[in-house]
Amino acid sequence: MRRAAHILFSRPLSIAGVVLIGTVILSALFADFIAPFPDHRGTVVDFTNFNQPPGWTNIMGTDLVGRDLFSRILYAFRLSLILGVVVLSIATPVGVAVGLAAGYLGGWVRFVLMRTTDVFLSIPPLVLAMSIMGVLEPTLFNGMIAVTAMWWPWYARLVFNITLVEREEGYVRAAEVIGASRVHILFVEILPNCVPAIITKMTLDLGFVILIASSLSFLGLGVQPPTPDLGSMVAEGARYLPDSWWLTVFPGLAILVAVFGFNLLGDALREILGADL
Amino acid sequence: MKQLARSILGAAALAAISTAVLAERVLRLDEVAVGELDPGKASDYADSILMFNVYDTLVLPRQGGPGHVPHLAETWEGSGSEYVFKLRSDVKFQSGHPMTADDVVFSLDRMQGLGQGLSFLFANVKSAQALDAHTVKFTLAEPYAPFISSLVRLPIVDKQLVMQNLGEGEGEMGDWGQSYLSDNSAGSGAYKVTAHNPQEETVMAKNSAYFLGVGEKAPDTVRLRYGLEAATVRTLIAQGEHDISSQWLPPEVKKALADDGNQLLTEGGTGSFYFKMNTQKAPLDDINCRLALANAFDYASVLKLIAVTDEISEGSATTGAITVGMFGSRPVGNELMRDVEAAKKHLEMCTYDPAEFAIEISWIAEVPLEERLALLLQANLSEVGINSTIKKIPWAAFAGMVGNPENTPNISQIFVTAVTGDPDTLLYGMYHSTKAGTWQSPEHLNDLEVDALLDEGRIGASDAAREAAYLALNDRLMTIAPSIYGFDSQAVFVARPGISVPALSDPAKAFGLDTMGFLFRLMEIE
Amino acid sequence: MTSVGRLLTARLGISILVLLGVSMLIFAIARVIPGDPARIALGPNATHEQVDKLRADLHLNEPIWKQYGYFLHDLSQGELGQSLYTNRPVTTDIAQFLPATLELIIVAGVLMIGLGLPLGILAAKHQGGTIDNLVRIIALLGVSAPSFVWAVILMLLFAFYLPLFPIAGRIAVEFDVPTITGFLLVDTLLDGQIAAFVDALRHIALPAFALALSGIGQAARLTRANMAETYHSPYIEMARSYGFPEWRIARRYAFKPSLTPSLTIIGLDFAAMLGNAFLVEAIFAWPGLSRYGVAVILRKDLNAIVGTVLIISAAFLIANLVVDLLIALINPRIRYSRGRV
Repeated sequence: MRRAAHILFSRPLSIAGVVLIGTVILSALFADFIAPFPDHRGTVVDFTNFNQPPGWTNIMGTDLVGRDLFSRILYAFRLSLILGVVVLSIATPVGVAVGLAAGYLGGWVRFVLMRTTDVFLSIPPLVLAMSIMGVLEPTLFNGMIAVTAMWWPWYARLVFNITLVEREEGYVRAAEVIGASRVHILFVEILPNCVPAIITKMTLDLGFVILIASSLSFLGLGVQPPTPDLGSMVAEGARYLPDSWWLTVFPGLAILVAVFGFNLLGDALREILGADL
Repeated sequence: MKQLARSILGAAALAAISTAVLAERVLRLDEVAVGELDPGKASDYADSILMFNVYDTLVLPRQGGPGHVPHLAETWEGSGSEYVFKLRSDVKFQSGHPMTADDVVFSLDRMQGLGQGLSFLFANVKSAQALDAHTVKFTLAEPYAPFISSLVRLPIVDKQLVMQNLGEGEGEMGDWGQSYLSDNSAGSGAYKVTAHNPQEETVMAKNSAYFLGVGEKAPDTVRLRYGLEAATVRTLIAQGEHDISSQWLPPEVKKALADDGNQLLTEGGTGSFYFKMNTQKAPLDDINCRLALANAFDYASVLKLIAVTDEISEGSATTGAITVGMFGSRPVGNELMRDVEAAKKHLEMCTYDPAEFAIEISWIAEVPLEERLALLLQANLSEVGINSTIKKIPWAAFAGMVGNPENTPNISQIFVTAVTGDPDTLLYGMYHSTKAGTWQSPEHLNDLEVDALLDEGRIGASDAAREAAYLALNDRLMTIAPSIYGFDSQAVFVARPGISVPALSDPAKAFGLDTMGFLFRLMEIE
Repeated sequence: MTSVGRLLTARLGISILVLLGVSMLIFAIARVIPGDPARIALGPNATHEQVDKLRADLHLNEPIWKQYGYFLHDLSQGELGQSLYTNRPVTTDIAQFLPATLELIIVAGVLMIGLGLPLGILAAKHQGGTIDNLVRIIALLGVSAPSFVWAVILMLLFAFYLPLFPIAGRIAVEFDVPTITGFLLVDTLLDGQIAAFVDALRHIALPAFALALSGIGQAARLTRANMAETYHSPYIEMARSYGFPEWRIARRYAFKPSLTPSLTIIGLDFAAMLGNAFLVEAIFAWPGLSRYGVAVILRKDLNAIVGTVLIISAAFLIANLVVDLLIALINPRIRYSRGRV
């Protein structure tokens, strides 16, 4: 543990990661207190002050209906994080269960499970999510479903590969000889060995889920206004380039900051936990 | 390597010289939607640009005033339910076939046979009959006052060419040449299609054999591009690589371009912007609820939103249910105003509890301005205590959803223009109960009095009688408020300096008909 | 070579099976889309009779497994049905739009390898140093923003503020290039139009770079990680003690073994690019298959959705097949161990 803390805080890049993520999480949590115009996340329009460049009152400018961009970005962080956490807390258990079962049980179970996984992995992730969003109404909940549907196979594949190796190990064989139940072997013997890899991947993925979700809303398949959402902000602002650059550049940088933070952190975790992805 | 670089430079220089020498007049413009080339299916702006340039019609709207002038027809007479047209004998299609009365009959049959696009305009035309090679008689099932004006929407198709290219289908007419006409032109127009890629552009070339002749300064080649992003158009125009923008650019972008020294072209007076309320679904099936919404809307703020410059705006204040300047419109000075007190009073009389409302405001994905209009309405409503949600819907999906009242959103935002310039084509399609459930009529209005007045307006024997009917209609529509009458719309286009489009810049040359200003043959490129 | 042959047959069989699965999945998804595709296609003024007729023509009233049967039958004839969006056969649309997308992805792939591998090698040679950290930051930044953000930033910098590159499309309108392969970079050369070629190259530069950015980072990191590992292996130490020049060690002994994982990641990145092309094409008005894909999804054009996804998945599977084969050829030991389940 101390070694972990040492690695984490001895390198400038990991510190930067912790700081970035901390900032993002804190601003999402305390958006109500930090945001200069908390009501601008909702049904507010102000046509006396719209499309204004960054200035003293609106440090990132105002959008096309006069809302403070900075306030909206803070609330958009909140939405992105909720989405990321929910997606991963559904996709991870599903993927892990599939991977464990396929890796340990073998036979037709493995064939069916891993072929299904392959089918999902053979459609480029964004295309799959788009097709699903095309079917469903564009809401936050459905967005989560679409992203979850494309995410679990990666965990299935990861855990499957580890399980394949682990099931041949002595301790598993020993447990089998004693007559331990399959459930016991899977969840008590094998699963703990997958945890470092899973945790590292989850950290990295939190960033990537945010990224994919923003891509979906960029294509118009995300949450609907007036809810602040980084991807939709970039998409809408892109129409007004280059004159109203702040409409695109700030939300774009916001995505970059959040995802970059998780990547730096995940990178450090990879080393600490020795996970090979 | 050095040699390659030199040859590249040389080629580039050569290209620069050759464009200077050729000095071909190219016009590049864009539209958001994919243009439908088949004239029988033309309905939206892009389709109409193609139709008016590739095909001709019997009459044209008079420039700078009301009424119509001869075009393919030399003269006509008749009224009520019978009209006889004498055709010009010197018109040839682009294929070289001469234009005859047979082609006119065929064009009407095809329009009615396909039943798409704006074919509803001809639903009560019983038949067209060729009396001789250059005389054609139309018989209507019942009198229809705006019949002549509807003819600007009957493009004349080259019958022989289409018959040579019939595709498979039921009946002797096969597919009515649909597959051929979706890629090729069969008109007599001043421009012919040379390439058509539905995702990229349609390329047209000047038809030098056009029966009216085409001016020397008119474009030789026209490229109508589809689906360009606003930012792309903005830059292309700034860099001199694009000539006329679509009207769908956001006002801010138009302003930026105008500030750079480009001209703003306008076309207006033929339609309005509406928030259409679904009158068949709770809570907006209650008149008081609808009136509450109509009074809550901020008619003044919306004008700030659509202003392009201090002088030019994408619309002007409206005075009632009918576009200012048309038959039956209320005079200027009666502009609609927001009235929060009235809104609250109506809300109290509404049978539904406002606390339980969740009104769905939709906006068309292709028209970004509508998102802001939705946000404005949402904010206005929340100030009087009405909750609402906003939903983005692509145009095609919207057109499919409005078929039945259940799937139709509570509020839809639509720009409607009179497709023939006559108020009948603005109002009948929106409010007559037999026309409910199209993109123009997501109100699903079913009101006997409105129906009666609409019928009166279209049969009316004299202009005065028609005017009276439309005035009464205006009052009725204000009383039952099927729509929030947002503003009278004006299409604003950005054009590079050096392009002259009199029909869109000089009121004395304006056609008073949507899209007609885009007749390429009347444009001039310096 | 027989083992490579066996590997090829096995992987090909599995790929076809997977593709069939993809078609089933996407077919099921496409059919539950709400909204009546016939009504959408015919437009608001069509009569009920017309809509019913089209529904019957499209077999929309029959059970879904039967519809899938018709679909498979058509597919075996090389037919994907009619697009309701363009009113043309889906195969015609795909044939027209696919080359533009492939061209974009291939150029992006070349950029990815051409910049990613050297960066990785550079970082591995200077492990722990400033260059290493710099490459690391660049790599992480590359993957940390969606390609549409990069596209917007690149466009803003190099097309708006510094107008070095054109901002939209594949080629300037004044060039008339005959369609031979559909790849403009190839067709212009075949037709001998150097100026057109240069113009096409300038058009593709920004979108391809925006698309490649995340891949460049990944390739660099992976190459660095693998080379770092091999750099410390005993046989490299030995080579060093023999006094071989550093560049030769890098190229011959450290680089080649690190190629395998890099190739694997390139296969995976190809999938990411096929997806991200949707975003980049939207910004640069690139008339490719992805733009078409977005349009047909939004318009619920069933045949076109199924066709597009199927083609994209097939492209992905083929790319991975090629990568697997290359790996098997480079590194014979892997042939059996990589025989994935």
